[in-house]
Amino acid sequence: MIKTSALRFGVAALALASAVATAGAADKPLAGTTLTIASQNDQFAAVIAKLAPQFEEKTGATVKVDILDYGSLLTKTQADFVGHTKSYDLITMDIVWAGQYAENGYTVDLTELMKRDAAELQLDDIYPATIQYIGQYNGKQVAFPFAGYAAVMAYRKDLLDAAGIKVPETAEDFVDAAIKLTDPSKKIYGFVANGQKGAAVAQDWLQYNAQLGGSVLDANGKPALNSDANVASLKIYKELFDKAAPPGAVDYDWGGREESFRQGLVALMETWSVGAPGYYDPAMSKIVDSVGITYTPVGKGLPLKYGLGGWGMAINADLDKEKQEAAWSFIKWLVSPEVQKEMNMNGAGSYIRKSTLADPELNAKYPFLPVIAKSFENADGDYRPRIPQYPEIQDLLGTAVNAVLVGNTDPKAALDEAQAQAEKLF
Amino acid sequence: MTSATSTAVLPGSKMRRSGMRFDDRRKLFLLALALPAVVYIAVIALWPLAQGIAYSFFEYNLLRRGGSKTFVGLQNYVDLLTDKTGQRALINTFVFTIGAVVFQFVLGLGLALLLWRDSRFNRICLAFLLIPVTITPLVVGLIFRALLAVDYGYFGYYLAEWGITSPRGLLAGTTTALPTLIFVDIWEWTPLVALILLAGLKALPSDILEAAAADGATAWQRFRLVILPLLLPTVFLALVLRMMDAFRVFDSIFVTTGGGPADATNSLMVYGVKQGLQFFNIGYASAIANVSILCIALMAAGFTLLIRRADVKANEQ
Repeated sequence: MIKTSALRFGVAALALASAVATAGAADKPLAGTTLTIASQNDQFAAVIAKLAPQFEEKTGATVKVDILDYGSLLTKTQADFVGHTKSYDLITMDIVWAGQYAENGYTVDLTELMKRDAAELQLDDIYPATIQYIGQYNGKQVAFPFAGYAAVMAYRKDLLDAAGIKVPETAEDFVDAAIKLTDPSKKIYGFVANGQKGAAVAQDWLQYNAQLGGSVLDANGKPALNSDANVASLKIYKELFDKAAPPGAVDYDWGGREESFRQGLVALMETWSVGAPGYYDPAMSKIVDSVGITYTPVGKGLPLKYGLGGWGMAINADLDKEKQEAAWSFIKWLVSPEVQKEMNMNGAGSYIRKSTLADPELNAKYPFLPVIAKSFENADGDYRPRIPQYPEIQDLLGTAVNAVLVGNTDPKAALDEAQAQAEKLF
Repeated sequence: MTSATSTAVLPGSKMRRSGMRFDDRRKLFLLALALPAVVYIAVIALWPLAQGIAYSFFEYNLLRRGGSKTFVGLQNYVDLLTDKTGQRALINTFVFTIGAVVFQFVLGLGLALLLWRDSRFNRICLAFLLIPVTITPLVVGLIFRALLAVDYGYFGYYLAEWGITSPRGLLAGTTTALPTLIFVDIWEWTPLVALILLAGLKALPSDILEAAAADGATAWQRFRLVILPLLLPTVFLALVLRMMDAFRVFDSIFVTTGGGPADATNSLMVYGVKQGLQFFNIGYASAIANVSILCIALMAAGFTLLIRRADVKANEQ
């Protein structure tokens, strides 16, 4: 008797348990799913890791964020794609990787999903430039933007005021001001940029190059590294390093550059908007009260275009349909207005939505958001060409520009040499 | 005639049928014992080596055209030897290897001679000398990068401030970067060379040295005519070890200069890793790796030959 009732009780309990489980599953459609993200170690990474439990609460899916430095991220994800090992479900994609992703079909083309869920995504609220540049290539949407950065100019109000110089609005003024503000005896320098061989110097020079009217590709999309405009801009870049930059700058990457500015050594610096919150943080910055953020100065007579960079979230194409949908749910959650606002309240410095940049609470915290908004409206995301050959081109430029900065290499000769090697890639 | 031949053959074939001779069986048994090692080497060393050689004849980039291969013959090798970056990397690697190994040998031999006499002081000195050897080359690179930084480095700041180096520092100068990295390598590995040579010195037969002293040979004569010839096998051993290591230098360069400024410190390994693991240009990277394997193999073979000759000569004496 006792045995039977125990059995009956057991069966009932089991039925109940499974009923609860089903109810839970209806509530949390992605229960049991784990999504692994390969994330660049930018400001947003820690924030995403921090907010991910909210997504889990909502959908039941566990999110693991693997935070990697740029080099490791590139190597690990490429190996994952090439070997079809499905280690990562979601991948943060640098704007310049779009060409490579599109050509090789590494990630899911999101075009149809975006059409299907357009209302839910509130696409009108997202800056078209971020969607276009961060992930769109040859008619495919290989990633969805979640962290747009604008190139901005950071400056020191106190140093400019003391010297009686206006905030430069053109590239020409910028060069003049930088040289005038430099006084090595007081350890004050007018300018700082990345000089270190490799991606660091290449990316910074490309930024100044675009503002001075240069371009890596010609009108037909073929490499034109040694064009007259590029040679001229490289000469100016070298002049700035020789006359206005801290001596160590030829070996600076992003970290060294930002640090020299936060430590108060430098008057003018072009940078990504994502670093700007750091200048206002007394824990790491000595210039909290004297820093200003404005638009990057463009050469006289050139169209007003501002550099756009940033990261998109991509879905590994090797995943099955069900997992792809789960990953897409995560992207939709990540780019929703609420999560975007919360990310930025937590210091992610990553913007894609008009509503986020216009948010009063965020504007009170970060006074420079209107600069980003206007930059996004006139954005150029192609000054670093997003072609499959970009990594190699960047490396060639990284060596050539560095050679000009540190040595006596003639700018024309250095770019000629880089051009000869770049042509082999096409 | 025919029957004779057949009868002569028959016993042999009978024996083979009945089983192998003891010697053959023994050989087979020994081969079987070696089999795991043979398989291991084939899988771990020979197969990748063969693949690496095969890849080097292809235009093979994992990120292009879905990773398809096109046969290009020796083009990758021609590219390496004709393109300026490749040439520079080859030259830098040789300059680095020769510069580092020569200094390490001279200084190491000096140290070994100084520490030869067995005393408590010398033993303590030796223990301290070995500290650099115990640090990972990557960490050594990071330490020197920090020390030589012009903004905050203990040495770099003052060297630049006092005008001894250029304001940009040693590692940022095209003419100073490679010598600086050679210095770092010398700092790290001289003690190892000293240790190896010291072991050789301690193993020298003392009667010969005493006889030379009794015959009135000066210290220099004893060193040149007795010690050095007897020490030669050890010398070559130290040289070949260091040379192989120095030729594939990667970590210390990678973390200090990344091959820069310009291409001033780009070595074959740094170049190869960039091509292979950054651009996934497997064909070209394989060619670079093969060239460096070939160079190392040739140098090692040369030194092994020298060691054998020196050994024979030393034994004759």
